[in-house]
Amino acid sequence: RAMVFVLSEAGKPIYSRYGNEEALSSTMGVMMALVSFIQSGDNAIRSIYSDDRKLVFVQQGPLVLVSVSRTLQSEQQLRQELLYVYYQILSMLTQVSITRIFERKKNYDLRRLLAGSEKILDRLLNLVESDPGFLLGAVRCLPLPASQRDALGALLQKAITPNLVFSILVAQSQLVTAVQERAVIEECRLEPTDLHLLLNLIGASSAFQAGEIWTPICLPRFNPDGYFYAYISYLDAECTVCLVLLSTDKESFYAVSDCKKRVEEAMRTQGSLQVLSGGLQSPSYSVGQVGVPGYPGELPPAAPVHQRQLSSSPSPELEGPYCSEEEQQRLFDLYHYLHSRIHSTSRPLRLIYHVAEKETLLAWVTSKFELYTCFSPLVTKAGAINVLTKLLRWIKKEEDRLFIRYPPKYSTTPNPGKGTKGGRPDGAENGFFAGL
Amino acid sequence: TSGKPSLTGDSDTVSLQSVMLVGDSGVGKTCLLVRFKDGAFLAGSFISTVGIDFRNKVLNVDGVKVKLQIWDTAGQERFRSVTHAYYRDAHALLLLYDVTNRASFDNIQAWLSEIHEYAQQDAVLMLLGNKVDSTQDRVVKREDGEKLAKEYGVPFMETSAKSGLNVDLAFTAIAKELKHRSMKLPNEPKFKLHDYVKKEVRGSGCCR
Repeated sequence: RAMVFVLSEAGKPIYSRYGNEEALSSTMGVMMALVSFIQSGDNAIRSIYSDDRKLVFVQQGPLVLVSVSRTLQSEQQLRQELLYVYYQILSMLTQVSITRIFERKKNYDLRRLLAGSEKILDRLLNLVESDPGFLLGAVRCLPLPASQRDALGALLQKAITPNLVFSILVAQSQLVTAVQERAVIEECRLEPTDLHLLLNLIGASSAFQAGEIWTPICLPRFNPDGYFYAYISYLDAECTVCLVLLSTDKESFYAVSDCKKRVEEAMRTQGSLQVLSGGLQSPSYSVGQVGVPGYPGELPPAAPVHQRQLSSSPSPELEGPYCSEEEQQRLFDLYHYLHSRIHSTSRPLRLIYHVAEKETLLAWVTSKFELYTCFSPLVTKAGAINVLTKLLRWIKKEEDRLFIRYPPKYSTTPNPGKGTKGGRPDGAENGFFAGL
Repeated sequence: TSGKPSLTGDSDTVSLQSVMLVGDSGVGKTCLLVRFKDGAFLAGSFISTVGIDFRNKVLNVDGVKVKLQIWDTAGQERFRSVTHAYYRDAHALLLLYDVTNRASFDNIQAWLSEIHEYAQQDAVLMLLGNKVDSTQDRVVKREDGEKLAKEYGVPFMETSAKSGLNVDLAFTAIAKELKHRSMKLPNEPKFKLHDYVKKEVRGSGCCR
């Protein structure tokens, strides 16, 4: 897979995906030399192509991110991966503090502040390469009957406290429901990218049964310079169902913890945990369920179902020849290729029918959805379109179960008209970085 | 704010007492807590705590239930702003260093000044030198720890989350002290944490 490096403008190693940064310091030195050489000519290096690999450079403020890859991924997709890494770093430190640190000390060793976060970045990169949600800019949601999802949303809507801005229920990294503060949602929405970063942080930090976690986190797409305070707690002994509550008040742990007690209580009364474990046990959906036999697997849709709302991307269980990890990765690489053709900056496409060595693929993008499918190599074009139509009809019918369409809201600021200030995350100035 | 701990309670239960674990990243705070809470040792790869992890445990101290809320904190600098906000609510602090890591011991002074700045003046404090099972890698002598603890007037013991040495004792001693403080029974002799620790503590074996 792709090698990924992060270094500072002074050439100091910050992160490397494989191997130890110290041992790679000469490699990083060469990379920095390339970056500075091009920079000295008032230009910026974007990529280098060799026979079998691509080097992609992204510079964000004082950080330089480099990817070295031999896969089918396009330059644009590799750039996107590097941006995810950059955003995950921001989620821990915020943009304003990184800028400030390097303004004061050009050769600062940022690893001092990122200590312990290597696992979070490693895990992120593995996810980016295996979870279609990252490619499609969507968060996978747990298929659930609309009535049950609404009931859980209503339950979160009731368990609120001042300065609470997002309440999120997650089951095994799949979104169950997300409720937002009204004043906040007017200006912004919870970005799938931010949600990916948050879920990755949770996944990487709680491998064993944890208690109640209270931690600062920046959601960089929402505001790269401010912190939220995240309350994270599992609701069952098996650590499958997780409640995440985001507050703007650093000191509100007890109040937010109390919200969790109320959620727990209400979920017990309603038997919600059984509902969720039922939802988790049934596969997200199978190809057979759709009633269109004759194709091995597909990766539907992507789709912000409604613009300006939370996206979600269900994809079926992979079957047949795609059971092994290598084959899944190969299929995913093909989807990456289709995605890069569809989203090509020079020649974007709306529909692509691609006959590969072992399968035939069809991808289709409209303003409402983005769909990637894979068929047996013997399929005809008419046959594929026919299956696609059936599939889309089925998805339309199941829309309420597969997607989160209308995320509920609540109001925790006493004066929502003027209260937007209360809804802003804590400025990084209040943090310890002020003292650096 | 109904969840905030208070010092009121009925006769055989002491209400929620908070114990904060602090010290450099990687000194074994989470492992110490898991050993105490679940009697297990977290072997394998290192997972660093994010922010503060709040866990509850009820202890029976001389027939009285003492509810402890143990706050496992992340040692990294980037989490200081949240840990600072919770120091003042801690009834007790366990300050850890790693006997195989000199820097973690050298940083104890900085941790102590942070504690003096942010925590309540009367908070119970104890210094722990962890990982004494790693006799081969030990670089901080027991005497060094004792000397530093004496200098600051805090009780001290060496622990091992891996073998379990003195782990229960550390928490029990804290719980006893907190129980005595919050109940203040008139006929009971004053509990002396220092003496109790000195009497009960076990050494780490032949290798010092």
